Amino acid sequence: MDARSLVSVVDDDESVRESLPDLLKQFGFAARAFSSAEEFLASDFVGQTRCLILDVAMRGMSGPDLQRELTRRRQEIPIVFITAHGGEAVRPRLLEQGAIECLFKPFSDTALLEALNAALRTD
Amino acid sequence: MTQVAKSRSDSPHEPSIPAGAAPLESILCTEELRRRPSRPPDYETETRALAALVSALADSPRTVLQTLADTVLAVLHADSAGLSLLTKDKKRFYWAAIAGAWRPHSGGGTPRDFGPCGDVLDRNIPMLFTHWERRYPYLSMATPLADEGLLAPFHVNGEAVGTIWAIAHSKCRSFDAEDLRLLESMGRFASAAYHAVESIEDLTLQMTGRAKAEKELRELTENLEAQVRARTEELEQRSKQLAEARTRLADEKMLLERSEAYMAEGERLSHTGSWHFNARTGEYFWSHEAFAILGLDPHETKASYPLLLERIHPEDRSRFDQVRSAAISEKKDFDAEFRLLLPGGVIRYAHRIGHCLVNESGGCEFIGAMMDTTERRLAQEELRRSEKFLAEGQRLSRTGSFSWRVATDEITWSEELYRIFEFDQRVPVTIERIFTRVHPEDLPLLHDMTDRARAEGCDYGYEHRLLMPDHSIKYLHLVAHATRDQDGRLEYIGAVQDVTERRVSEHALDKIRSELAHVARVTSLGALAASIAHEVNQPLSGIVTNAGTCLRMLAADPPDLDGARETAQRTIRDGHRASDVIARLRALFGKKDATAESVDLNEAALEVIALSRNELQRKRVISHVELADDLPRVTGDRVQLQQVILNLLLNASEAMSGVADRPRQLVLRTEPDAGDRVRLSVQDAGVGFEPDGVEKLFEAFYTTKTEGMGIGLSVSRFIIESHHGRLWAARNEGPGATFSFSVPCEPATAAGAQSPGVR
Repeated sequence: MDARSLVSVVDDDESVRESLPDLLKQFGFAARAFSSAEEFLASDFVGQTRCLILDVAMRGMSGPDLQRELTRRRQEIPIVFITAHGGEAVRPRLLEQGAIECLFKPFSDTALLEALNAALRTD
Repeated sequence: MTQVAKSRSDSPHEPSIPAGAAPLESILCTEELRRRPSRPPDYETETRALAALVSALADSPRTVLQTLADTVLAVLHADSAGLSLLTKDKKRFYWAAIAGAWRPHSGGGTPRDFGPCGDVLDRNIPMLFTHWERRYPYLSMATPLADEGLLAPFHVNGEAVGTIWAIAHSKCRSFDAEDLRLLESMGRFASAAYHAVESIEDLTLQMTGRAKAEKELRELTENLEAQVRARTEELEQRSKQLAEARTRLADEKMLLERSEAYMAEGERLSHTGSWHFNARTGEYFWSHEAFAILGLDPHETKASYPLLLERIHPEDRSRFDQVRSAAISEKKDFDAEFRLLLPGGVIRYAHRIGHCLVNESGGCEFIGAMMDTTERRLAQEELRRSEKFLAEGQRLSRTGSFSWRVATDEITWSEELYRIFEFDQRVPVTIERIFTRVHPEDLPLLHDMTDRARAEGCDYGYEHRLLMPDHSIKYLHLVAHATRDQDGRLEYIGAVQDVTERRVSEHALDKIRSELAHVARVTSLGALAASIAHEVNQPLSGIVTNAGTCLRMLAADPPDLDGARETAQRTIRDGHRASDVIARLRALFGKKDATAESVDLNEAALEVIALSRNELQRKRVISHVELADDLPRVTGDRVQLQQVILNLLLNASEAMSGVADRPRQLVLRTEPDAGDRVRLSVQDAGVGFEPDGVEKLFEAFYTTKTEGMGIGLSVSRFIIESHHGRLWAARNEGPGATFSFSVPCEPATAAGAQSPGVR
């Protein structure tokens, strides 16, 4: 595993943007947080990102919207969705559409790590 | 018309039209006949009347005109009726026969050219007059005055010879198109009768002449021996006279034949043939029309019984033969209806009547008439068919019809109504009998409606149930329309529809609707829960992640203490954030729609009762309201307080839904309570609750009801507590429970200045 792999976090919730990058750095990744899909797309990090941790429901462009946009741009980045809406129903659909994993907030650090390992294996 | 009147007045013999006499058109209302509602054609009466007239003509030709006048009077229900004949000099009309009120005027008449009969002959059409004395002053002496006079011309040999007429002396009777039809039918008979009478008179005269001549001949024969030579010449002369008489007889015969032609025309028009039968000789005479009805030509065949029998439908032959044989052997009149089977398989219906005449020698003859009643039959069948359609329609739509004459309680039901009530059609319907089927719970309603219908005489409609012998329940919808007959007597005409299926499906629909409402409420609750979860999960997620990071930092070698401290602080901050979310939610729900206003709890309660009246009635709950006078007002949210009252009412009615052994009585009471408070309580006679179950009642999501949400009482308590009040439940001494709340009164001084605990 490339220790310097960049993992980007896109979530409109501040708590997540503040807490997740520190944990990712503890795992040994480089980490970047963005408050919206638009901000991420406008940044210089799209091409470098090895894995994307993406909130499902956000104001403006949603998580699945961003996924489609990346596919359109042929930017095949493995995605781990995270969501605070506890509906199990969304999970199978997201996985079907190519997501590596879908985690429900609050999720454990080990669950996140497993998902990241799976994402980077397929990379 | 003025022109005609002027030319008439030229003749010194004619009464002239007085100045100011009403014009003819002003006393005519013939057009009315087409506009007035007419009663249906009564072929039965017409046929009977014509048959009686034919018999009368045979029995007593001299009085046939009077019989005819009597018949017109009876058939048209007229006040007066009669025949006017034109005199030989054609200057006057002679009232040949009159029946009814005008009978004393028999023998009177009117001038040919100045009177209603003349008008009818001039125009050669039937006419309806009203108060003709306004034009013809001399008729004001013919009392009682005619309110309406209906006249029809009748003809002999193509020439109008008279009129047949009917008079109504009061407004009670006004003639219609059916009257005209009947009058014209009688008029056709009058034509035939008129001529027949003339011929018979002449014939009788001739017969007397012949008898006299024969007597003279006999006298001559007795003296023949003595006078043979002397009288030969005289005898020859007598013989010549006889020959002349015979010629005259032949002339009379010709006249008779002519009258027969008129008779035949009358018969043809009324589809009635006449016949004569001599039982001794077995000889038959059939009129031309009698042949025609049987589809026979009088020139090719001879009237005979076998021929008649041959034309009668095989299935009806033996029955007819029995009737006829019995009449002959018992020398009595007969009357038979049967079918004819004509060549080509045509079936016609015939009605044959025979009048038995017993002569001096004891032999008998029959004179009679045969009518082709096919058209009448078809009309009857058409009527029967439309009745059948109606009955079928009623059956399919489960709608019965009825009429109810209030004064006599005479009730008529259609077949379908008997079927709906499952009553035997042979037993007459009475109100008492109807009540035996009515559901006991609906009886007071029905008694009330019946009393009101009797008293008020206006249209009504309601729904009630029937309890059938098999304990099934039917739902009926009834509408009735009030009418009054000529004498002002009240009668209801109405329809009753069996709406059981509709009600049952409506109830099913209601159930589905309330289940749907339940699902909707649960769903919206689910949505609320999801939104709360989302709000809370966000900071929780931060807390968990930070805690994980913190542990990892502490476990590192060397431990990253600064990082761990920072993440721990973030954890604390996220915890506060979650707590803020909860506080926000509470604020959101607490503030919802709450207002502070001055509320009269009595008014508020009455509004709720009014709103829920249907629901309570549907559940057969009897509600009593006992409101305290001068109840102090309270301050609060009127709508929220009403929601609490509604919730208590519905809970009470729900608690009694299984109660069958006692009245489902509900009492809503308001009263002042200790410590400047006002109390409202709802007492039911329902299932009640267990002694230790009181507090559980108020827990959210606790319910004893299958369809309940279980949050009603907890929400109610929340609302009352936010009004600084108290909500509690108590068991009744008898069955059921009482739920009460009490809230503080409005401060007597600054009313509404201080808000209660409503945030």
